[in-house]
Amino acid sequence: MRMGRRAVAVCAALVLLLASCATGNRVDLGGGASSNLIAGIAGEPDQLDPHKTTAYFSFEVLENVFDTLVEPDAQLRMQPALAQSWETAPDQLSWTFHLRPGVKFHDGRPLTADDVVYSYRRIIDEKLANVDKFSAVTEVSAPDPATVVINLSRPTPNLLTNLGGFKGMAIVQRENVESGAVATDPVGTGPFAFAGAKSGDSITLSANPDYWGGAPQITGVTYRFISEPSTALSALQAGEIDWTDSVPTQRVAQLRGDDSIRLEVTPSNDYWYLALNQAREPWNDVRVRRAIAYGIDRPSILTATSYGTAAANQLAIPEGNPWFTPYDRYRFDLDESRKLLQEAGTEPGELDMLVTNEYPETITAAQIVAANLAPLGFTVRIRTVDFATWLDEQNHGNFDMLMMGWLGNIDPDDFYYAQHHTDGTSNAQKFSDPEVDRLLDAGRVETDPQARHDIYARAATRIADEVSYIFLYNPSVIQAWNPDLSGYEARRDGAIRFRAARFGDT
Amino acid sequence: MTPLLRFLTRRVLHSLVVLFGVLVLVFALVHLVPGDPVRIALGTRYTPEAYEALRTASGLDRPLLQQFLGYVGSAVRGDLGVSFRNGDPVTVTLLERLPATVSLGLVGIVIALLIAIPLGVFSALREGRLSDGIIRVTSQFGVSVPDFWMGILLIGLFSTTLGWLPTSGYRPLFDDPAGWLRHIVLPGLTVGLVAGAIMTRYVRSAVLEVASMGYVRTARSKGLSPGVVTRRHVMRNALVPILTITGIQLATILGGVIVVEVVFAWPGLGRLVFNAVSARDYPLIQGAVLLIAVLFLLINLLVDVLYAVVDPRIRLS
Repeated sequence: MRMGRRAVAVCAALVLLLASCATGNRVDLGGGASSNLIAGIAGEPDQLDPHKTTAYFSFEVLENVFDTLVEPDAQLRMQPALAQSWETAPDQLSWTFHLRPGVKFHDGRPLTADDVVYSYRRIIDEKLANVDKFSAVTEVSAPDPATVVINLSRPTPNLLTNLGGFKGMAIVQRENVESGAVATDPVGTGPFAFAGAKSGDSITLSANPDYWGGAPQITGVTYRFISEPSTALSALQAGEIDWTDSVPTQRVAQLRGDDSIRLEVTPSNDYWYLALNQAREPWNDVRVRRAIAYGIDRPSILTATSYGTAAANQLAIPEGNPWFTPYDRYRFDLDESRKLLQEAGTEPGELDMLVTNEYPETITAAQIVAANLAPLGFTVRIRTVDFATWLDEQNHGNFDMLMMGWLGNIDPDDFYYAQHHTDGTSNAQKFSDPEVDRLLDAGRVETDPQARHDIYARAATRIADEVSYIFLYNPSVIQAWNPDLSGYEARRDGAIRFRAARFGDT
Repeated sequence: MTPLLRFLTRRVLHSLVVLFGVLVLVFALVHLVPGDPVRIALGTRYTPEAYEALRTASGLDRPLLQQFLGYVGSAVRGDLGVSFRNGDPVTVTLLERLPATVSLGLVGIVIALLIAIPLGVFSALREGRLSDGIIRVTSQFGVSVPDFWMGILLIGLFSTTLGWLPTSGYRPLFDDPAGWLRHIVLPGLTVGLVAGAIMTRYVRSAVLEVASMGYVRTARSKGLSPGVVTRRHVMRNALVPILTITGIQLATILGGVIVVEVVFAWPGLGRLVFNAVSARDYPLIQGAVLLIAVLFLLINLLVDVLYAVVDPRIRLS
């Protein structure tokens, strides 16, 4: 077999040739400060228009390109950003923001109050995805180029969170929007400017030397789309990328002892819940809903979906957060469930559970829920659909139970009103309780912080008591990076900020 | 007209009919499948006002027939519309993805042929012996191993452990030939090993069938050397079924090897279509399916022409 031998020789030569080529992923121009950071994210942004996208992958990029008037710090308190200061009228119905002087867009044009007005009017007039943040806003005006005035129909104590909680409320540039380029070639005021994209492969940002918060110390950020977590981890270990949040959860325990990478597991404000469709019998009976809440084995769900990295919680917001309320009414207790079902006179039957392969944890949890509820006599029919179908089915109320999560929660008005108020836009489970409605209406306009805190503690407790949602757990933000990278921290709201990142100890 | 030209003309006309059929089917299917593109674009942050506004802006409130006719009208002019997720022209996006897909397809099929032809022929010539058994078991193994697992194993060996090759990513051939080669080896190998294992079995059975023919026995009894018999009489005739399976495999890879693309973060058509379907991005789905259909038709055309080249008894007319 002469041919065979020659082929082996060619292959061997090829391997040697490949092995001899330099890895050369990062161009290091000497001195750690001049490096480009390569981040591995789990998917490709669908578009880069901050007002229109709802994809987390987009915000991982946009967080570094755009600014908001105010922005949350690590403790999620609102801090000055494009607005340097602000004051509230005595009647709480008018807020005046003073813009930071000297801020420029990436194309060099100075930022003015007109841009702020334009951005907010765009969301309001075009009824874009985040229009609900402006539900109390009656007018946005710019009395002079450095001042923005927002008039309100009712006191809005969480206005700052609404305006700056995430980059969906970013200040965009009119020219960039009107040319249609914003979706693929956005121009912002943030620490990095959009530099280019390769479809399906990567997006590159370059440092903005004129950034108002100080020029970044790295030259830029390249986001590579690596959706397979084991590949992302291998790429990090091989030094091809410097940072990733695509980490295989089942390997977290093992990676904690690995000195070659820095692993961060930070409790997040996101939460996962089950909801029962209260427009259908027997779920309109609170005793039946409570029977289900007692009938599920939360610790097993938590272990199976997160390998123990999540925090169990029977309410939405975790410990260590201003909106945390202690609550532990429910435990896995089938006798209690049977008693409640008997009281309600309900004969257990089929339960249609709607889950989606977009979020595999919903499928895992559904299997445990099905096993848990079987002894009670419920036959859980798990219906796995893609996310588009899931949203449709949820919208049409075509389910008995579903599991979903809410992300990036900062202010309780944001994550309770839409979900649990009778008129809430995301109240797919059709929960309606006059007491909860009253509390949520009151919390919206209560300007005294302590009183507001108490209102939401009562609302949260009542929501769980009446089982609008069966809250399950708060997942962790899991990220890993090159130990050489400093000036970066994993945030509990999942915002990815590279503005202070640098390499080495410089 | 020469027979070849006549053949090509007829095939192109056929292809256009097929393409129109594909277009009608895809258009009907994407609109029939449950799942509302506007709803998913808004995600969980949904309000009825935002929904209506986006629906109108996307042109999805127009009657279906009107949408279809508008689409066909511009498709004929090469304009496949714009993605309604990011407003990018579909044609541009597809052309951006095509080089990565074609690279992976060609490298994969070459690796598959390098594996399948020697092993398949060798195995067939030693039918029933131990070496045949080993090759058959190995190829069965190759067919059975899921490609994502094969990919992860290859990354573990060549990237993490040996550090020879990058774990993932893609470089365009003309910008960076060395980078292209380094990045394509592992995904190419994954695709090639799986396709090669499948094709080995086809090659083996094709060769076995030809080897049992009377003219092969005659050639042997004439006293021709086994090598000459294999090359001239067996291989030449076995090539037709081998070409068929090669064409099918290549078309399959070009249509998107989504699992391999995911494991190696490869910017191919497969992931694009997957994401487009998840987002119900109708213009992008339609454009991508159209492109894949064109690739299938082109490969089939090529295979048909090659039939005639390897076997003059097959007439193009």
